[in-house]
Amino acid sequence: MQPDQAIKTEAMQIKKASTISWGQRFVMMRESRFGAFGPVLLALVCIWAYFGITEPVFLSPRNFYNLFMQSAVVGTIAVGITVVLLLGDIDLSAAATSGVCAALMAVLVTNVGMWGPLACLIAIVLGIVMGTTQGMLIAYIGIPSFVVTLAGNLGFQGLMLKILGIHGAINMRDPFVRGITTVALPPALGWALAVVFVAVFAWFSLRRQARRRAIGLELDTPTALYGSIAFFAVLALAAVWTLNSYRGVPLLVVLLIGMTALLGWVTTSTPFGRMLFAVGGNQESARRVGISVQRTRVAAFGIVGLMAAIGGIVGASRYASVSFNAFAGGPLLLEAIGAAVIGGTSLFGGRGSVWNALLGALVIGSLGNGLDLSGASAADKLMFSGAILLLAVAIDALSRGGGNGGR
Amino acid sequence: MSDRAETTVGRVAPPTAPHLVCRGVKKRFGGVEALRGVDFEVRRGEVMALVGDNGAGKSTLMKVIAGAYSGDEGEFFLDDQPVTIDTPYDAADHGIQIVYQDLALCENLDVAANMYLGSEPVHDGWGFLPRILRPLDDLLMEKKALAAIDRLKVRTLQSVRGKVGGLSGGQRQAIAIARAVGADSTVVLLDEPTAALGVAQTEQVLQAVKNLRDAGHAIVYISHNMADVFEISDRITVLRHGGNVAVYETAQTNTDEIVVAMTRGIDKGAPNAA
Repeated sequence: MQPDQAIKTEAMQIKKASTISWGQRFVMMRESRFGAFGPVLLALVCIWAYFGITEPVFLSPRNFYNLFMQSAVVGTIAVGITVVLLLGDIDLSAAATSGVCAALMAVLVTNVGMWGPLACLIAIVLGIVMGTTQGMLIAYIGIPSFVVTLAGNLGFQGLMLKILGIHGAINMRDPFVRGITTVALPPALGWALAVVFVAVFAWFSLRRQARRRAIGLELDTPTALYGSIAFFAVLALAAVWTLNSYRGVPLLVVLLIGMTALLGWVTTSTPFGRMLFAVGGNQESARRVGISVQRTRVAAFGIVGLMAAIGGIVGASRYASVSFNAFAGGPLLLEAIGAAVIGGTSLFGGRGSVWNALLGALVIGSLGNGLDLSGASAADKLMFSGAILLLAVAIDALSRGGGNGGR
Repeated sequence: MSDRAETTVGRVAPPTAPHLVCRGVKKRFGGVEALRGVDFEVRRGEVMALVGDNGAGKSTLMKVIAGAYSGDEGEFFLDDQPVTIDTPYDAADHGIQIVYQDLALCENLDVAANMYLGSEPVHDGWGFLPRILRPLDDLLMEKKALAAIDRLKVRTLQSVRGKVGGLSGGQRQAIAIARAVGADSTVVLLDEPTAALGVAQTEQVLQAVKNLRDAGHAIVYISHNMADVFEISDRITVLRHGGNVAVYETAQTNTDEIVVAMTRGIDKGAPNAA
């Protein structure tokens, strides 16, 4: 019997004996490629629906525009943190790292008068160096990442204060840096980008299916194939339509999606990505097949440093200033970790996706934005955020069969 | 089908000539002499059981052959050619693969990903990127994984796209074995492959081992389970206190004789037996 025939007949037998419970179905759905979006997307839809009813202005294009911009800093850092969470490590210094990088960039531009792009580049290099240094301490000396990055958090907070000097804040007026968050694409360009995005996605999906057929592997069901294409098409076009009815698609959104797409591709479709998941899933087995656990870890922390630095630049651009409280001293760190976890990334390593971190950042951003609109107090906001975080982690634990000590 | 699926690894050497030979293997851990000059051999198309009481040196010998430990002394020959085995990579280069008792699979990855972990195929034409950043050829991986599992005739595995975390113990064992076989190996070392399995799953794994043997692999099989040893093996090497006791033809011995040799040793023909 040919293998594909065998698989087909077995698959048919399984279909016949379809006594799969809802719980298993849910787990299976979570395991599928796009299914992992489910819970966080559902949470987002619920939050949007709730605030859409109670505060109709919430669903206005203008508010969506602001929402995306507000969530960008948290999203950028959350995407980076996801990469170390995949290893089962954590980075508590990401917000402080982004603060140091932002402060350095601000000093270089404002006080030294350096060309904006060059200052940004220097800040990014600094972020990578800070990340890899911590990664080396964790990987080669063997200090737990929690401790190294906790120490890093404190040290970098101090460093940021030193760089900022006695004033504690530096204003950003550099047109290049400000432009990152103030420029919006012309409507036509926004539409064109959305169409290209959808076309590329569809082309890759269809080509993959064609290759599967050519090799004789089991095919994705047409529902899943065309469903995912249609879903992304609707999502992209709706987003562009909404943003175009206010000021157009912000450049920042395009940059953020581009970076996340790149990192998403690296983590899921390259040998390096496999290393991340393997080390996070079973470090010993990764070591035995010849993966350098240490170098993988250092690289992952380098990526967090990179994303933190970019987050710092985005933040400096958005707030038009760099101040201690906007980065290291504020809730940025916990919001970024929360965003990654709400997105369904496991704190124990081996499971997660950078795209979900972006959606998690939107959940946190939407919650803050909606509660602000409805005039909630700071106390209410904190309690709501805590409840949503707990709910997200509970859904995640349940979806994995639950009861296994929260893994 | 994969180009390797149809071809067996072949009986290059005559069936009676040993494929892998180890002579005088010694390994010391501090003051403890775990192996004191062990001789060992295995032929192609044969299952050589390696038995002994706890602490006899079975696992140490296996790890030395697999390159996980480097032996203090000893010679290795593959088809009469002397080889050196100091690291797991040396062993893999010589076609020696080990399946550890704890399997070392990543439960969060799918079957195909586990089978090619650390040596994933990548697409051509991305030479400007370092190898670890080139796009994975996951469809090729899937195809080769299916072929490797097909060779073991594991019919209960429906898809190589499922996560290993959702599989039974027997299926995991089969995947670990298939991984070892998939890497162009001629010698497969199995450490207690049925220790944690139920009856049906044990049967499945033993069948997979037989299929491997019939394809011409040289198989070393460590087990405490005498029933399994007598069902699967062609010959039995008995170790005791880090030395050889004797090598038996499975068809010409019985459980009692082996157990006595394991626990008390025999006087003649076992110079190293204590």
